[in-house]
Amino acid sequence: MIATLAFYLFAGILLVSAAMVVSARNPVHAVLFLILSFFNAAALFLLAGAEFLAMILVIVYVGAVAVLFLFVVMMLDINFTQLREGFQRYLPVGATIGVVLLAELVIVFGGWRIAPGSDAHRFAPIDVAVENTRQIGNILYTDYILLFQASGLILLVAMIGAIVLTLRDRKTSLHQVVSKQVARMPADTLVMVDVIRGAGVPADHYLRPKVAPVAAPEAAHDSHGHGGHH
Amino acid sequence: MNWISALPELVLACAGMAILVFGVLAPKNAFRLASMFTIAAFLITAMLVMGGTTSLGYSGLFSSDAFSQFVKLLILAAATLGVIVSLDYSEHENMQRFEFPVLILLSTVGMMLMASAANLMSLYLGVELMSLSIYVLAAFARDNLRSAEAGLKYFVLGALASGLLLYGISLVYGFSGSMNFADLSAELTSASQASTGVTIGVVFIVAGLAFKVSAVPFHMWTPDVYEGAPTPVTAFMGTAPKVAAMALLVRLLSGPFAHLLAQWQQLIVLVAIASMLLGSLAAIGQKNIKRLMAYSSIGHMGYALVGLAAGTPLGVKGVLIYLVTYVFMNVGTFACILAMRRRGRAVEGIADLAGLAKTDLGMALWLAIFMFSMAGIPPFSGFWGKLFIFQAAVTQGMWVLAVIGVLTSVIGAYYYIRIIKVMFFDDAAEAFDARPASLSFVAVAGGLFTTGFFLFAAPVEAAALAAAKVIFG
Amino acid sequence: MVDLALNFLFNTQLGFLILTVLKAFAILVPLLMMVAYLTYVERKVLGAIQLRKGPNVVGPFGLFQPFADAIKMLMKETVIPSGANKVLFLLAPMLTFSLAMLAWAVIPVNDGWAIADINVGVLYLFAISSLGVYGIIIAGWASNSRYPFLGAMRSAAQMVSYEVSMGFVMVTVLVCVGSLNLNDIVMAQSKLWFCIPLFPMAVIFFISTLAETNRSPFDLPEGESEIVAGFFLEYSSMSFGLFFLGEYANMILMSSMTTILFLGGWLGPFGLWPALGPIWFILKVCMVLFTFIWVRGTFPRYRYDQLMRLGWKVFLPFSLFYLVLVAGVLMAFGWLPHVA
Repeated sequence: MIATLAFYLFAGILLVSAAMVVSARNPVHAVLFLILSFFNAAALFLLAGAEFLAMILVIVYVGAVAVLFLFVVMMLDINFTQLREGFQRYLPVGATIGVVLLAELVIVFGGWRIAPGSDAHRFAPIDVAVENTRQIGNILYTDYILLFQASGLILLVAMIGAIVLTLRDRKTSLHQVVSKQVARMPADTLVMVDVIRGAGVPADHYLRPKVAPVAAPEAAHDSHGHGGHH
Repeated sequence: MNWISALPELVLACAGMAILVFGVLAPKNAFRLASMFTIAAFLITAMLVMGGTTSLGYSGLFSSDAFSQFVKLLILAAATLGVIVSLDYSEHENMQRFEFPVLILLSTVGMMLMASAANLMSLYLGVELMSLSIYVLAAFARDNLRSAEAGLKYFVLGALASGLLLYGISLVYGFSGSMNFADLSAELTSASQASTGVTIGVVFIVAGLAFKVSAVPFHMWTPDVYEGAPTPVTAFMGTAPKVAAMALLVRLLSGPFAHLLAQWQQLIVLVAIASMLLGSLAAIGQKNIKRLMAYSSIGHMGYALVGLAAGTPLGVKGVLIYLVTYVFMNVGTFACILAMRRRGRAVEGIADLAGLAKTDLGMALWLAIFMFSMAGIPPFSGFWGKLFIFQAAVTQGMWVLAVIGVLTSVIGAYYYIRIIKVMFFDDAAEAFDARPASLSFVAVAGGLFTTGFFLFAAPVEAAALAAAKVIFG
Repeated sequence: MVDLALNFLFNTQLGFLILTVLKAFAILVPLLMMVAYLTYVERKVLGAIQLRKGPNVVGPFGLFQPFADAIKMLMKETVIPSGANKVLFLLAPMLTFSLAMLAWAVIPVNDGWAIADINVGVLYLFAISSLGVYGIIIAGWASNSRYPFLGAMRSAAQMVSYEVSMGFVMVTVLVCVGSLNLNDIVMAQSKLWFCIPLFPMAVIFFISTLAETNRSPFDLPEGESEIVAGFFLEYSSMSFGLFFLGEYANMILMSSMTTILFLGGWLGPFGLWPALGPIWFILKVCMVLFTFIWVRGTFPRYRYDQLMRLGWKVFLPFSLFYLVLVAGVLMAFGWLPHVA
């Protein structure tokens, strides 16, 4: 009973928020509704017993992808009136395509006939005794290893593409030289003073940086090499 | 686990990653070395493909057979030539970054996966791997506005096509219960019994793939992307991916959906006619030679589709031979286009070719050979390709299709021969810069192949027929 | 009577609901008390580190200070900036706070003592902690103000970056355990706590938790010396209080995660006094919490590029390398956990 109630609750919120994604005026709200609908989809997965998928959906889509989405949408300066102008202009075309697609879908559902014997082709029969994380792992790394690796290659291409198309080595940007930072000894800049509690520090023992080395060009480079200067 | 069946792909992918690491770690610009390594990797892979066995591996996701071997060799040849023609251009246009050959290599892996796909999922991933790399390549000259526009346009439309493809796949899966080609062909045994869902699914899949071969009405991106993308990328884009996508269409429609011939035949016929018409008519007014090549490739894909529409091993054989001839004459033409460089600046106008015969007779002759071949004039290879295609169509009684094909190739001949006229009979314009050896090599190789094709047509034909028979089982 | 009540609680659906609510209270009330006193301990410890006394006026040793603070916060007026997006502005602190509470559903304090002993406990924790960023982003955006927005942007980049290496650390632990269940993870450490064989990963995990909770030295989202108070600049009274509670509850949560993944959860050192499970657990959590405060008292704040460099160029490759190493060692010596 609780599961059924939960199903209708999550499914209802999912549908409403999905509708809000496309109808919300403020793009930030749209993304937030998208997140809400991801969340409810994850809950539905959970109800269906696919806990691994549910968690991965939340981690990957809500926790990472949507954050970047939100990040970008918040940074964009979107002119809402202009957006709506376009909406009205393209409404007739969009609506026509939508109606055609709808009609096609109706025809498809009208002719709904699953091929006989299609059940026999099911790749992975469900074994309730094994938790589904293990099940997914078992087929992902055996039967579908080729596809798994091919997807990996696709992501590699995406990474290469992002770097190729955007990375520029600006000559003005500053780089951290870790070896220099590590090589710097505390004694180069600090004086340790023994302090007796409550007695205060004698006037000539205040902590102060040692006098910087005179070598000017080195010092200029150093100034951005160390943290905490800014 | 029969993992050895994908050995060429594994070797090529690993080589790609090794070259990538090499490029990142290399102390100075590694473009030239990375390109050489890529070419070497292609050659090694080609040898592995030739020595490969016939098998179905990876739980039926991947099939290695005569058809895939034929197509893979062609793709590898096209990709190798593509890398060679990019060497000089990249250095001129300041885009000599080692990622360029790596991306070509990875996209080749995707195409090889497409050629071997035995499952709708491996098909989709292959298509994506190929396309994603090419989107990036199209935008590779990122400081050039037109290149960036080409990349973006191709990406957005390509994403739409992928969506169509996926939607089609999901419909087919939903209505037949399998994504495996063997199971699908066992399931969909009669055209009359197939449900509407499967038919619509097939239509969507065909639409998605027709986008990749840029057949009308999914061709809108082609001229802009061909024109905007860096020319070596256009050369690559115009050959290897077309071969892979066409091979995929053939394998899919003549394999698992073979019994649904009645459903998809009219679709392919329509697309073929439209492509042939548009390819020949729209090219007439073009002034930019890259745009002209875009329309020309649309037309060529139309001819190739005629062979597919026949739905027989003979037709598929015709498609394969057509693709072979197409690759070599296209790469050769692009090698000539890349050699069009005045005082260090690349020029792309047809008018820039004026009087080429007087300033550089060699290049004018090779280009003329390619133009004659594209127009389908004997004895050049283009003629033989068209011959086999129309023969297959006529054998199936598709007279109308064959006649339209012949008519459009006559119209097409007009603009191909116009280029020859401009080169040989117009007043000489300023001479082009000296041709680099790499481009001359590709032009000569393509030219010799195109001219001498009739000498070794028999073994190619035999191989193509063997490959075609595999598809029809 | 007692039998009847037990029967009702354990065998009817309504009873199950009530039981769950009771269990939740049993976790949340001590948790909130712990949060309250964590603020007190933090001020005391920081005081000691900085040679001050810390709070010492309200009650003996200042022990009632947290309550004084709570009352103060409740009494103040909630100010909502006129340009703010009101709904989201108020939603953000609630979100932060409730997410910090939500994660506790799966934390086992003793063998089997968790409200929900689920198969994918680690993933659940990871999912919830990855959501924490939303409270901050939404707060920063809804405030409609420069500094909060800067803070939110910083926080989004920071939390997403460190999640990646945290994920790899967790995967390393999972490879050693062979299960995603938190109970199994603790029980797998009955011979040897994972902080010994996976010591570098434990360190990376701890540092990443500092970044995930936006604690010093990674407190750039609030960075008071540069962007005033960052994302909660515009908040006042209890809406601020909820952020505050959420941050400290998250600290305790992350400490418990460290305890479960690396310090053997409720297991005593060398198997000592197994009956004292919850006590061991709390002691370990307190130890990690002390380290949180200790770090705050010791290290200066990271600069933004240093933070990114550490996450992407140091932690990510290293944890990836270590994961491969651990998996290789387990494979080579046949030490892989049970394979079903």
